[in-house]
Amino acid sequence: MAKEGDMSLLNDVLEPFRRVINTDPPKDKLSASTKLIFSDSNQSIKEDTPNLHSLGKRKSVLNMSAPETPEKRMRSDSTSNTVSAPPSPWEAKRLKIDIIAAKAQIAKLEARVNHQHTIRKEMQILFEEEKTSLTEQHKRDQRAVSEMEERLQLIRRREQELKDEYNEAIKQHMEKKTKWDKEKNELQKQIAELKDKLLESNVSSKDQISEMKKDMDELLQALEGAQQEVEMLKKEVTRQTSRAEQCTTLRTQVEKQTFELQQVTSKLKEIEYERDSYKDWQQQAKTAQKRLTNMAELEKEVIRLRAAERNLRDAVCNKLLLEEQVNLLTTKVETLQPMQQQLHEATVKIAALESSLEEWTTAAKNHGIETSRALSSALDSALSSQLNAVAGCSEAQSILAQHTEELATLKFERDKINTKLNDLQIVRKNQESLIHRLQKRLLLVTRERDSYRQQLDSYERELTVSLSGEGAGGAALLAARVEQLEKALQAYRDLLAHHDHEPAAKALESARAEINKYRDEAEAAKRDVIKLRAQRDQLQAHLEKLAAPTKVLHLADNPAAAAHKQMQVDLESAQEEIKKLKTALREGGSRACPEEMQQLKTQLENSRIKLQRMKEEFTSSAQEYRDVCYMLLGYKIDRTGHKNYRISNMYAESSDEYLTFTLCDDGIEMVHTEYSASLGELVELHLHHHRSIPLFLSALTMELFTRTTMQQEVQEC
Amino acid sequence: MSQQQTKNCITLRGSAQILCEYLNYAINSVLFQRGLYPPETFKAAQQYGITLLLSEDPQIKNFLTNLLTQSEEWILNKKVSKLSLVILNVANKEILECWDFNVQYEEGDVALSKEKNETVGSKDLKKIQQEIRDVMLQVAATISYLPFLDCRCSFDVLVHAKTDCDIPEKWAEAEPVAIVNAQNVQLKTFSTSLHKMETVVSYKLVD
Repeated sequence: MAKEGDMSLLNDVLEPFRRVINTDPPKDKLSASTKLIFSDSNQSIKEDTPNLHSLGKRKSVLNMSAPETPEKRMRSDSTSNTVSAPPSPWEAKRLKIDIIAAKAQIAKLEARVNHQHTIRKEMQILFEEEKTSLTEQHKRDQRAVSEMEERLQLIRRREQELKDEYNEAIKQHMEKKTKWDKEKNELQKQIAELKDKLLESNVSSKDQISEMKKDMDELLQALEGAQQEVEMLKKEVTRQTSRAEQCTTLRTQVEKQTFELQQVTSKLKEIEYERDSYKDWQQQAKTAQKRLTNMAELEKEVIRLRAAERNLRDAVCNKLLLEEQVNLLTTKVETLQPMQQQLHEATVKIAALESSLEEWTTAAKNHGIETSRALSSALDSALSSQLNAVAGCSEAQSILAQHTEELATLKFERDKINTKLNDLQIVRKNQESLIHRLQKRLLLVTRERDSYRQQLDSYERELTVSLSGEGAGGAALLAARVEQLEKALQAYRDLLAHHDHEPAAKALESARAEINKYRDEAEAAKRDVIKLRAQRDQLQAHLEKLAAPTKVLHLADNPAAAAHKQMQVDLESAQEEIKKLKTALREGGSRACPEEMQQLKTQLENSRIKLQRMKEEFTSSAQEYRDVCYMLLGYKIDRTGHKNYRISNMYAESSDEYLTFTLCDDGIEMVHTEYSASLGELVELHLHHHRSIPLFLSALTMELFTRTTMQQEVQEC
Repeated sequence: MSQQQTKNCITLRGSAQILCEYLNYAINSVLFQRGLYPPETFKAAQQYGITLLLSEDPQIKNFLTNLLTQSEEWILNKKVSKLSLVILNVANKEILECWDFNVQYEEGDVALSKEKNETVGSKDLKKIQQEIRDVMLQVAATISYLPFLDCRCSFDVLVHAKTDCDIPEKWAEAEPVAIVNAQNVQLKTFSTSLHKMETVVSYKLVD
């Protein structure tokens, strides 16, 4: 019963919750329920506090579970009811059991309630989430709608704006059109005006052109006049230049004449000198005539020299004789050679025959040929002698062989002799050439002799003075000279003897000739080689042609042809340039560049003017210097010639009173003059004693000054 | 690569192109090495794995392209037996040097030719280029023994063609050249298996 009551109560309690769950209550309802629950729990806690000791266990359970359940209040009421009526033990036990059971049921129910709570909470959370999501969606939709509306408005505005713009553009277009039309009309008008102007200007320009032409004609006439003038001026210029040239030629002539004058003066001096020397020569000629008297002695000498020359000629003749002898000897040798051979052969034969005769005679004596018996025996002996003869024959043959051998040897000897002969002939030739040389030498010697004679003559001229004084000494000198000449002659002879080096030179020459021969041969061989190579190349080319008949093709415009053309063009241009330059050279550089000529002329003129000015300056400054010197030192110095100076004093009484000085290597010297001779005291004192020219000059000025002043004083007195 | 080549298969035209390419580089190299034109007119280019120099002069370029396009045609038709690069003295037209490029025609790969129905070669392109590189290095090395050209020189290329060959426009017949007292040096040869190129330099021996 209690259980059912409890259950109904519980149901009552749970009813609102279920309602809440089923009808998805809003937040405020839930909060009211919670409030309710809290107030209940507060009450139950207040009520529970006095029954803590009996309800300790349950309270812990209650504390563990939700304490806000309304079931607690009801139970606490029930407990209070049970306590009020004293129960029987059984009933108590039963009550207790019921209580326990009820408690268990309560616990179960509480658990279920809790479970329901949790479900509800979950549900609540779920619904809340859904609600939030829905609200968010709603908000988004609202936002989207608002945005779309804004966009729509914007688009409408743009549309409006575009329409306005379009209208404006159309208006502007219309306006511009009208403007352009106006402008076009204006421009067309302007074009028409310009055309009119052009026509006008054309007409005016034509007038101007005619005027210009007239001006042109006038100018041309003026130009022609000017050109004529120019030509005139040119002619004048040429005249002037020719005059200038004439002037220059005249100048050069003048210079030449001055030069010639100088030359003539120098020649004059030379002639004077020659005149002087001619006088000397006259004197010398006189002496020479004296010397001629001594010619006899010289002639004697000449005779001696001639004898010597004869001796030399004799020697040459001797040499010629010797050569002839050599020739004779060689011919004799040639004739004697075969005779000698014959002699040799004859002697040999005679010897052989004599030996055989002796043999025969001995054999005959041995056999005794007088008797008939002896004949048989002699026959036998003859037979035997035949045998012997055969043997002899063989012997003779051997002898013959020997003879032939001997003959060969003789021939060899003959050859030797022949070679000797050749040598001798060579020697002869050499000697002939030597003779030639000697003859040449002789000529030289004669010339030298002549020269010596001339020398002798000159010596004698020199020596005439001494010789005329003492004849014996002169003879001795001449003897010495003759000795010297003889010595020289001997030396020449030695030289001639030494000049036998001909064979060596000949060998050298022959060797050189051989070398030349070999060289020629080598050159010929080289030429042959070149020829053969060319032939080989030709043959090779021919072979190639024969092997494969081909024709050679090439591109017409190949680089080689192009290069050749270029080169020819270059050559032609270079030759043309050369021609041009040559013609320019022929025409002459002066005509080619008259400006340069003009410049040079002006330069020359300038330099001449400069020189003139320099001269003037120099003369004026020199004059000034001289004046200053004269005023300061009292002496007027004139240069009379080379290193000669004439000085005259300021206080001199006449112009004849002057001193001359010459500049020497070691100072200045005073030259003797008539005036200086009159100044003996001053010269003695200052020049010889003090050795000072300035002192002398100043003393002179002092003296002259005092003299002049004294005279004036005297006159004044 | 300009030549038509697929899997070691070189056509006749491709081989002719290789030859002409070699000729272009060789002639340029000779012009540079022998100092016929100033070195600043040449530009370096990488070919055959080495640096070679090609002339930038428009006249030379034009000449070589004209020459080599025609030469390619002739090589293709087996008309050419020899190309000669002649270096001569401009002043007296004396021949100082002659670079002969002898062209020989070979069979190629016969089996592959039958298969392809045209004459083709099967030599590896890398190997051909290796051979060409060797020749180019030799060309560069010739400067050590060739005589110094101390006069104004120019060059010409003579094509030794067969007699039945037509003379095209811009071409003319020339005289065959011969160097007096010549010295020949044979350089390495290379082959594309269709053509064989033999390079010979002959120069005037100075005594």
